[in-house]
Amino acid sequence: MKVGYSYLAKQFADPDAILADIKALVISGDFTLGKATVEFEDKFAKLIGCNYAIGVNSGTDALFLSLKALGIGVGDEVITTANTFVATVGAIETSGARTVFVDCNDKYVMDTSQLESAITDKTKAIMPVHYAGQPVNMKEVMAVAKKYDLEVIEDACCAIGASFDNQNCGTIGTTAAFSLHPLKNLNVWGDGGVITTNSKEIKDKLHLLRNHGMVDRDHYAEYAYNSRLDSLQAIVGNHLISDVEWITQQRIKHAQTLDLAFKGLSQVITIPPKAVNEKCVYHMYMLLVENRDALNEYLKSKGISSKIHYPIPLHLQQASQHLGYKLGDFPVAESQAKNIITLPIHQHLTADEIDYMIKTVNEFYL
Amino acid sequence: MKVPYVDIAEQFFEIEDQVMLAIQKVLSSGKYILSEQVSLFEKNFREFCQCKYSFGVANGTDALIIAMKALGIQEGDEVITPANSWVSSTSSIAICGATPVFADIGSDLQISVQDIEKKITSKTKAIMPVHLAGKMANMKAIMALAAKHHLFVIEDAAQAVGASYEGQAAGTIGDIGCFSLHPLKNLNAAGDAGVITTNNKALAQKIALLRQHGLASRNDIQQWGYNSRLDEIQAAILNCKFVGLPAVLEKRHANAELYRSLLCSEVVLPDKSIVGHDANHLFVIQCKYRDELKEYLKTYDISSAIHYEVPIHLQPAAHYLGYKSGDLPETELSALRILSLPIHQHLTKAQILFVAEKVNEFFKMKGL
Repeated sequence: MKVGYSYLAKQFADPDAILADIKALVISGDFTLGKATVEFEDKFAKLIGCNYAIGVNSGTDALFLSLKALGIGVGDEVITTANTFVATVGAIETSGARTVFVDCNDKYVMDTSQLESAITDKTKAIMPVHYAGQPVNMKEVMAVAKKYDLEVIEDACCAIGASFDNQNCGTIGTTAAFSLHPLKNLNVWGDGGVITTNSKEIKDKLHLLRNHGMVDRDHYAEYAYNSRLDSLQAIVGNHLISDVEWITQQRIKHAQTLDLAFKGLSQVITIPPKAVNEKCVYHMYMLLVENRDALNEYLKSKGISSKIHYPIPLHLQQASQHLGYKLGDFPVAESQAKNIITLPIHQHLTADEIDYMIKTVNEFYL
Repeated sequence: MKVPYVDIAEQFFEIEDQVMLAIQKVLSSGKYILSEQVSLFEKNFREFCQCKYSFGVANGTDALIIAMKALGIQEGDEVITPANSWVSSTSSIAICGATPVFADIGSDLQISVQDIEKKITSKTKAIMPVHLAGKMANMKAIMALAAKHHLFVIEDAAQAVGASYEGQAAGTIGDIGCFSLHPLKNLNAAGDAGVITTNNKALAQKIALLRQHGLASRNDIQQWGYNSRLDEIQAAILNCKFVGLPAVLEKRHANAELYRSLLCSEVVLPDKSIVGHDANHLFVIQCKYRDELKEYLKTYDISSAIHYEVPIHLQPAAHYLGYKSGDLPETELSALRILSLPIHQHLTKAQILFVAEKVNEFFKMKGL
C-alpha cells in the first residue's frame, strides 16, 4: 500500500467547476486584483473572523509585507523560533531586521517563558509561529508584547482554523500571515498568501505595499512591491474555502486516531501534549521518535511518505552565521530536530491507509 | 468603429482549448511549484533569447529586485536609470536601499548616454536602462560606458520580449535582464509572471537561491532569500503562447509600419535609429495638443494611453530624492507630448486606417 504525502490528485479529481470559472476568467482578462480576489478576501476575512484580509503572492510575502507595513527594518530586532520553515526568518532578514531566536516547547512552538529575556531596546516585534497548525500561547505573547510595547505578527501560514482560548489564530496579533501553498489546509494551484488584520490603517498601507505604492494609475505614494494574489488562484480558493471546516475536522480526527494508536509505544514515541484551550489543525502531524532516521527509511520502504520538518534548525543554517548562534543555544529545538518525524495526515487519508501506517510503525518497533 | 487598446479575450479565444488542456495537465500532475512546465518555459525562453540561464519568477518587479540583490546592490550605492518608465525600475532600486539617480532622455525617448555619464559618481554601481515600449536603449554606448567605469548593467526589459540590438536579444547584453510576462505584455500569462536572464554562472546561482528562500537543497539554507516563483500553471499558459509569439511580433511590426505610412507630419513617429528589432509593445507618438487628441479619439471609440503621465522623479514617492520640476527637461517635455496608439496584434487593417484617419483629421482641424 502507498500512503502519499501529497493528496492533490485526489483533491482535484473532479475540477470541472473550477476549470469552468477559470475559462471565464481567461476570456474576461480580469487577472490582476480582480473580482475573484476581492471575493476571496471577503470570504477569508469571514472565515478567520477579522476585519480585513489582503491577498498577496505567498505566505512569505505575507510575513515580509506585514513587517514593512509596521515599519520594521534595518536596526530592529524580531523575536521568533528556530524550528520553523525558512520563510519566517527569510522574511525578517530580507526586511533588513535582525532575527532573535527563542527555543520551542514540547508542542513544537514558541516557549513564551523565554520571551522577556530575549527582548532588547532594539526589539520591535514578536513573530510567534503557529507551527504545523499548533497555536502558540497567545495570552502570554500578547502580555509580553503589551508590557514592552511590541508588535505581534502571527505566522499563521500553517494554521487556518486554529485557535487559542477560542480566539482564532490570525485575529490576535497586529497582523497575521497565511499561506495558500498547494500543500496547506486551504490551498491554491500555486503560490498564494493572505494577510489578516483588524486595523484599517494597516490594511490601507498593505494595499499600497502590494501594488507598487499606487494611489491610482498615475500616482505612486511610495516605492513598494508587486505581490498580488492572482485572480486565477483566488478562483481556486473561492471553490475550496467552504471545505476548510471539513478538512480541519478530518485532520483532527486522523490525528486523534494516530495519537491513540501510538499511546502504547510511549517508550519510543512521544506525542506532543494537548490542551483544551488550544485547537491544533494539524497542517502536519509530528512525533518525536527513537531511531528516527531508520524509522523514516523503513516507512519509505513500505510506501509511506514520511518527512522530516526539519533536520537542521534555522539558527544552525549557513544563512544564520551572521547572527552568531551556535550548537547548544536552543537545546529543545536541537533535540527535536534529531527525533522529529512527520506522518501523512491529510484529509483524504482512508481508514485503511491510517491502519497501515499504524501497523507499519508498530512493526518497526517490534 | 471601436478600437480597443487591448484585446485579451481575443488572445485567449484563439488558443482557448490548448490553454485549458495545459491547465488541466498541470492540475492532474499534482505539481504546482517549479516543476516541468516552468523548466520547459525557461528552456523556451533561453532559446528564444539565446542566453545561458533563465529563471521564472513571480513578476517583473521581483525580477528587478532579485537582479539588484544578486549584484549586491545596497544602501550607499547609486543606480542610474530613466524617469520615464513604469515605477518598478526605480522602486526596485529604492527598496534595495540604493539611491535611484535619474538621467534624462534623448529625442528617441530612451535614456541619454551623455546624461548617464554626467550622473556617474564614486557611488554609482550600476546602470539600469529601460527598453521602454519594446524599443532598445542604446546598448552599445551604455555597455562601453559601463566597461569604462566598471558598472553593472541591469536591463529592464519588462516591455521588450522580442526586441534585439545588433542581433542580441534584449536582456542578454547587460549583466542581467528582467522581463515581465504580465497580462498586457507581448508574451503574457493569465496573471503576474516574470523571468530573469543572464549569461553569468555565478549570478545565475545567486538568482536561483534568491527566488526560493536561499535553499540550495531542501535542508540547506545558504542565504536568506525570497519566495518569488513563476507558477506552474502560468508557465503552462506561457508555453502555449510561445508558439504564437513570432506571429504576434510580426503583426505588431506590420501595424507599426502601417501607422508610419499613414500618419501626418505633425506627428513625431517612434524613433527608428536603433539597429535591431523593436518589439512594438507600445506605439508611442509625440505631438502637440496631446490631451485634446486623446479626447478626440475617444469620441470615436478609439482608446489610447499615456506611458506615463507623471515622470517618476516628480512622483510623491520620489520626494525624498529631492528632484524638482525642470531637472529632467526632455523627460518632462515628453510626458506632455506622448501618446500610445493601439498596436496590439488583433487590430485589423481597417481599424488602423481609422485611427490614422482620425489622428490626421484632428491635426487638419487644428489647421496644422
